[in-house]
Formats: sequence, structure tokens, C-alpha cells
Amino acid sequence: MSSLLRVALARLAGRPGRTLLAAGGIAAAAAMLGAATTVAFGLATGFDRAADRAGLPDAMAQFDAEDVREVRRRALALPNVRSVSFRLEDGGVEVYTERDYARHGKLQGVRGGERGYAIVEGRDVRGRGEVVVERGLQREWGIRLGERVGVHQFRSYATFEVVGVAVTPDNVAFPLANGPRLYAHYEDVREFSRERPGAVNIALLWVQDPEQIDLTLSQARVASFGIDELEFVTRDGVHTLINQAAGIVIALLVAFSLVALGAALAMLGSSSAADIQRRLVSIGLLRTLGATPRAIAASVALEGALVAALAGGVGLAIGAIAVHGPTDRLLVALNELGPGAAIVWPLLACLAGLVLVVAVTAAWPAWRAASRPPVETLGGADLVRVPARARLGAGSLALGVRLALSRPRRTAATIAVLAAASSIVLLMLALAGLLQRLQDDPETVGKRYRLSVPAAATDVPAIRALPGVAGATARYEVQAADSFALGQAFSVIGFAGDHVPYEAPPLASGRRLAAVDEVEVGLGLAQALNLSEGATLAAQLPSGREVRFRVSGVVRALENEGRVAYVRASRLLAAEPFAVPEIAVLIEPGATKDAVATNLRRAGFFPRAVGGVTARGGGFLEVLAALLRSFAVVIGAVCLYVLVQTLTLTAQERIRALAVLRTLGAGRGQVTAVLAGTALLIALCGAAVGAVLERFVVAPAASGLAASYVSLSLVADARDTGLTVLGLALLAVLAAAWVARGAVRRPIVAGLREE
Amino acid sequence: MIEPVVAARGVVKSFGSGRAARRVLDHVDLEVRPGELVAVVGRSGSGKSTLLHLMAGLDRLDAGSITVAGIRLEQQSQAGLTELRRSRIGFVFQSFHLLPELSGYENVLLAARLARRGAGATARARELIASLGLDGAASRLPGTLSGGEQQRLAIARALVNGPALVLADEPTGNLDAESGATVLGLLRGIADGERAVVLATHDAEATARADRVLELRDGRLG
Repeated sequence: MSSLLRVALARLAGRPGRTLLAAGGIAAAAAMLGAATTVAFGLATGFDRAADRAGLPDAMAQFDAEDVREVRRRALALPNVRSVSFRLEDGGVEVYTERDYARHGKLQGVRGGERGYAIVEGRDVRGRGEVVVERGLQREWGIRLGERVGVHQFRSYATFEVVGVAVTPDNVAFPLANGPRLYAHYEDVREFSRERPGAVNIALLWVQDPEQIDLTLSQARVASFGIDELEFVTRDGVHTLINQAAGIVIALLVAFSLVALGAALAMLGSSSAADIQRRLVSIGLLRTLGATPRAIAASVALEGALVAALAGGVGLAIGAIAVHGPTDRLLVALNELGPGAAIVWPLLACLAGLVLVVAVTAAWPAWRAASRPPVETLGGADLVRVPARARLGAGSLALGVRLALSRPRRTAATIAVLAAASSIVLLMLALAGLLQRLQDDPETVGKRYRLSVPAAATDVPAIRALPGVAGATARYEVQAADSFALGQAFSVIGFAGDHVPYEAPPLASGRRLAAVDEVEVGLGLAQALNLSEGATLAAQLPSGREVRFRVSGVVRALENEGRVAYVRASRLLAAEPFAVPEIAVLIEPGATKDAVATNLRRAGFFPRAVGGVTARGGGFLEVLAALLRSFAVVIGAVCLYVLVQTLTLTAQERIRALAVLRTLGAGRGQVTAVLAGTALLIALCGAAVGAVLERFVVAPAASGLAASYVSLSLVADARDTGLTVLGLALLAVLAAAWVARGAVRRPIVAGLREE
Repeated sequence: MIEPVVAARGVVKSFGSGRAARRVLDHVDLEVRPGELVAVVGRSGSGKSTLLHLMAGLDRLDAGSITVAGIRLEQQSQAGLTELRRSRIGFVFQSFHLLPELSGYENVLLAARLARRGAGATARARELIASLGLDGAASRLPGTLSGGEQQRLAIARALVNGPALVLADEPTGNLDAESGATVLGLLRGIADGERAVVLATHDAEATARADRVLELRDGRLG
């Protein structure tokens, strides 16, 4: 073994240029693996890490406010319960600082016992007037410790000093979640919400045996007689919900990892085969001197492993560092914690795997070459398989195509790698386009009006009369809860007339509403309340009144996660007479939004541009877009590297053919054209297969992962497909030019002697 | 006096460095005129192929000068040498070096395409193939052809752009006696067609057909 090591080290030291080149390829592959592993590990384990640190309860119970002594007595009587603590939550509060404002906030009053959240900055609440804010709110608003935060609801106002920042992994973070969460002293919240002393509405349960949680909850239901509106959420249930939010990201990363792995194998395989091709004569010589194929393969494997250990370590570290920032932001959005030093272990496993792969891919061609008769290897014979005749002409590009076809298996493998890569690139472009539309284009959430005006319904005729306005109508939106499950909140949207010209997400089933007692419900709400055509939706409005509608159809609404209901305004206003309207303004074809907005301002109105879903999910979408962009760039570089490696191997194997071409008068441009023929065949076939793969496999799978309540088309459009094809073609030409540059620098006679 | 197609003056070429340095060509002088077939003979490793490579602009000389069709090779850039090889020089190899992916006809046509010869190239290629009696072989891949057929196609490839100088490195080295005789007959015919032909050879038959026979010994041509 020591002699093998000495030979390997001597060979590495003797060819520093090639060693560095091989190390560069391995480092690039390792960087991809490092990036994918860091994000995937961070996301896959983020929930458990945050849950463990926060001491997340095994189950949470929400109910109408009850006396804490009564609830504690019943909870502790359950056989499996280890510990219980209580909170009083006031939902739907308005939260504000000097700079920012949010609705749908949740103010929770914490009592003694286990907290269920992790303090990541500052300290916990110790006394009255103090508050701990969730990390998402702190990051989004840039809140500093010691700053004051106000809360407001109806006639209650309170301000608190921020003493700490917490992570609670039982929901995604603000602004991805509906509203921010704040934790304050119990008595502060009780006074704010004007509840009786001792009232609580949330119980956190920790059990002895988590396997028995279902049984425990069944017993809890039996013991809950007299406690109204009881709902349980288990830790596993929370985990599943959070995973849905990150599902598409994880799926993308898995796909990316597979591309990275395939590309790494292609790269390493190509470079090893090229290296062995260069060494055929010395391998033949070693065989003539009595070396066994096994010893030769072992020596080459050791050499590869030495380079891989060093270059792989560097590459993994670079990849991990490169995605650290976006991963951290993503985990913040999901209310989870980063892996910290724990990431070292999966990265080490990747390094071990990489070294093994490199050793095997290096040893295999060496073994094959060493197993051939020494006289063949001594001749350095051209490894050419002659294909069946094809009518391709005799031009330089056509010759390049023939060179690719003479190695059908390698060409097919490279096409497969590029197809996988381009399908992921196409998906990323489609996703990026969708994210852009979600942020900017109201059409994606079914809104056809471009401007809205806070004004009275009586102003509609005046607005309609303005130049450039195609139509205007009053739109009312109120928050409601299901009368049978008050925890199920949704938005009721009422239009003065037919809503379809103004706002109409596509129908999933049923028909549009046609009467005042009918409703179109979003798929998210239909799934939550098990609604279908003909069912009754009973909405509890803020006025305390209930209004019932018959479901006429289910729409694929994206807004508010599909928890919306479209109705005629007259019935809504009868139950909620003080609902405040906004006027939805349609713009005439040919008129611009800016021009109409100017006309509205001149008429004394304050128009607002209608956007997509930026207001609530913009930050998360930006994080996703940043991650997508990082990966798209890396995948582009991978494609270029794969093409360069393939062409390098082709140029090495066909060194004599290229020398003959140059003897016949081929210049650098023509050698480039020959190699471009090879590269373009691979790149264009890869792009075509990738487009088919994206359209029929990747996009439908990713769309299903993205959201079940809405149909998101993730099929790349013609522009993105064209850009990808063009990009790959450009990369092919670039790779051909790069490899040809090196090929024409070699002396022609050296190529001619290779026989 | 007819100008020589190729003229070498004081050509020096060495390989290796330090104590391993070996001067393969040592002040070699040579002139070949149109219509002349010159055979260069010598032991293996005597520098015959190196001399042909230098005359084809495939390698750079250490000292001296080589002029082909009035163009000084040592003064040319790589692009200039490439252009020269396309238009003025045809090269025939011992191992034929036909591209295995292309048919015989396509191999011949490839050289014309590289030289960007237009519509006339196809006709010229077909004419050459017919004149060499290769009509049957032209549509087949090189791997299915005999050595003699392959070498005749290689000669057609060398001639397709109408070069002034044809260099043949051991053209009969891989052929049987009958095929070798055919190839030598072709080369003789090329020289008789007012082209200059230089061939490096061991073959006594080849030397018998040459106008002049020069021997390379210890780097010198005599």
C-alpha cells in the first residue's frame, strides 16, 4: 500500500496543472452537494430542532375561555399527561410600532410552567408591561430590544416594552402567517381582553409517552364536557402543516441534489476516463513490467481519493457557506432554527461518499484499460466506435455530431444529465415567473380590476364617468368565522353587482353564483369545512350576526390560502351594515393605470394600485426567489462544466482525428465547429428532453406540492423554454470554443504520433 | 529555370533538451520542382517524417528556412500555415487516417469543405474518386475497405484542393505489394501532372519510381 501511495503522490506532484484541474471539477461537484445538503438538512431537521429547543408541547388545546383551575384539574387527571401550562390568547388584535402596522395579531398571556417557545434574543417576560415578540415580526419590522410595541382592539389599547425575541415552531412566522404573535404577562392580556380573572383559552400538554397521544386526546375529549369549541393540534400535525409550506422547496432541493449527483458523476467519470486515455501508454508499460490490473486500478483510485478528500472538503465548505444566508432566511420564515454545528456530520458523510465515488470512477476505466492486452494500451489506440451510417453531410458541425454518435452511451448519459438540469432550470424559471406575477399581477389572484379607491358606494357613478374607467363597483370584504367551527376564519367578499367582471378566480367545480343567497367558496375554505355544491355556509360576522348562503361553486382562489367566499353585497350588508367599501375600478383597453389614477386623484380620490399577494407573503417569496436564482446560476455552471468535460474527453480520445483535420487545413474556428457539433447535439437534445420532462413530470409534481387549494401552472412558457434552449446552445458553443482553444495549442505532430 | 515548389535551406530540428537533446535534422537543404518525385530514405528515426512535417508546416523548425510555393513557412503565423495546408499542400499518411465516421466520399469532400471550396468541390471529389477507380468504395465506411482502397481515398483527399506539393509519409508501409504498387503508380502520376511529390519511404519499389532518391543519415541529407 505504501508503494501505491508513493506512486500516487509522485504522479500528483508530477502533473500539478492536471491535478488542479481535476481538483477544480471535484470542488465544483462538492460545492453543489454542499449547497443542496445544507439547505435540505436545514429544512428537514429545522422543525425538530426548533421544537426541541422551544419545548414544543405534544398537543395544544384551544377552547372558549374557561377558569384555569377547572381546566388544570381535568388535564392533570388524564393518565398520560406529564405537564400542562396555560395561556390566554386574544386574536385579531392590531399591532403597531412607530413605523409599522399589522392586523390579525395574536396577543398571548403566559402563565407559569413550561413556555413552549424558545427565546433566541433577550429574555423572557418577567413582569407586567413587557412583551416577547416572535422572530418573524422582529426581522420584518426591524424591532430592537427596549422598543415599544402597541396593541389595539375595539376599545382596548396597550403598549409594551420588547424584552425578548422568541421562536415558536407551531406555525410559520409573520409575515408568512396571517398576523404576528406576541407573548405578554398573563394579567396584562387578561385586562386587555377584559376577561375574568383566571380565564384561559389555550392549554399546552406534554405527555409521558408521545406514542399514546391519540389515546390521550380521545380521553381529553371525553373529559371536556362543558368546555366549548375545543380543538386539538398535535405536534405531529403542526409538523405536517409546516412541511406543506416548505414542501416545494424541499422537492426542488431533492431534484437539485439529484442533478448535482448526476452531474458530479458525469464530470468525475468524464475526467477520469480522459485521464486514463492520456495514460494508456504508461498503463501498457506497467502491464508489460508485470503490474496487475488490480494494482494499477488501486493506485489510480488512491490518487483520485487523495485529490477528492482535499478538493471535496473545500468544495463542500464553499457550497455550505454560499447557501447559508438564504437558508437562514427561509428557516426564519418557517419559524425554525438553523442546524449550527450539526451540519458538519451530513457534510462529512457527503465527503466520504464523494471520495468513494471519485475512487470508483477513477479505478473503473483504469481497470478496463489495464485489462486490455498490453500491446493495445501501449499503442494508445483511439477508442472509437464506428456508428451505423447516417446521412449528415461532411461539414464540420456534422462531423461533430458523428463524433458524439460514435459514443452513444456516453452521449445518452450526458443528455440525461443536461435534461435533468434543464428541467430544473425550466421549473425555476416558471416558479420565478409565478412569484413575480404573484407579487405584481392581480390577475394571478383572480382580480381583474387594477385600481381600488377607498370611497363610499355613492361615489361609484362619479368614478365610472372618469376618462379611462371601464367600470366601477363597490367591493366589501369582512372577516368571518364558520358558525359551526368558530376557529375557521375566512374572508367574505361582497360585490354590489356581478363580481365576475371584477374578480373571478377560476371555477374548480359547480357554477358562478346567480342569486343573493348563493356563494362561491375558495377551495381552501371548501377543504377546511368540507363544503361542496349545495352545502350551506353559515358565516359569523364581526357584528355578531349570522348569515347563511348556499354554495353554488368552488373556486381556485389563491388569496388568503383559498379561505374566501364571494357573495352579493346586498345580503352581506343586511347582516353587516357598517362594512366599509372600496371601489374596484376597471380600466378601459388602451388606457393606462397611471393615467386613470391621475384622473381619480384630480377628482379628489386616493386610488391604490392592486397587487398580487405581496402584502403578506412578499418576504417569503423574495427568499424563495433568491434561493432559486442561486441554484439556477449553479446549475448553469454545472451544465457548462459537464459540456467542457465531455468535449475534453472527446478531444482527448479523438486527438488523432483532430490532428488529421488540422493537417488538412482546419483552423481553430473549424475545430471549434466540430466540437460545437458534438456539444450542440448533446445540449439541444438535453434541452428538448428537459422541456418534455418539465411539462409532463416535474411541473405537475411541483404544482401539487405548492398548494392543494389552487392550480398553479408551473409549466415553463415558450419564452422561458426558448431562453433555456438558447442558453444551453450558447453554453455548448462556449464549451466548444474553450476546448478547441486548448486542442489547437497542442502540436499537430503530437496528435499524429498517437498511434 | 522553373521555381521549386518547396525549398529547404539549412533546416535544423532537435528534440529533447540538455544531455537528452538530439539533433534530428542538421542543416538540411532540399529543392523539389513541379513534376518531380523525390524519395527520402533512411533508417527508422533518421528524421524522414520530421522533414515532411516541417515542410507541411505541422511543426516549427529550429533554424534555417523552408519555402513552399513562394511562401516562407517560418514567417507564417499558425493561421497562415493553416491556410497554406488547405490550399497548397496535400498529405498522405502511412496509416491513411481516414475519419472512421465518414464514408470514403465524405472523407474526400471534408478536405474541400475545410478549404471552403464551393460547388466545384463535389464535382472535383467525384471526378477524383472515379479517376482512382474508387466508385464502389466511396460510399462505404473506411472500416469496411481494404488498405489499398483506404490509401487511394487518402490520396484523393490530398488532391481534392489541387495542391502544388504532395507529401507522403511511408504511403506503402501498411500495404501489400500489389496495393503498394498501385499507390506508387498514383504518386508517380501526380508528379507527372506537374506537382511536386516528396515521399518518405523504406520501400525499394518506391525509390525505383522516384526521380531522385535522397538519404537522411545523421541528420544530413545526401
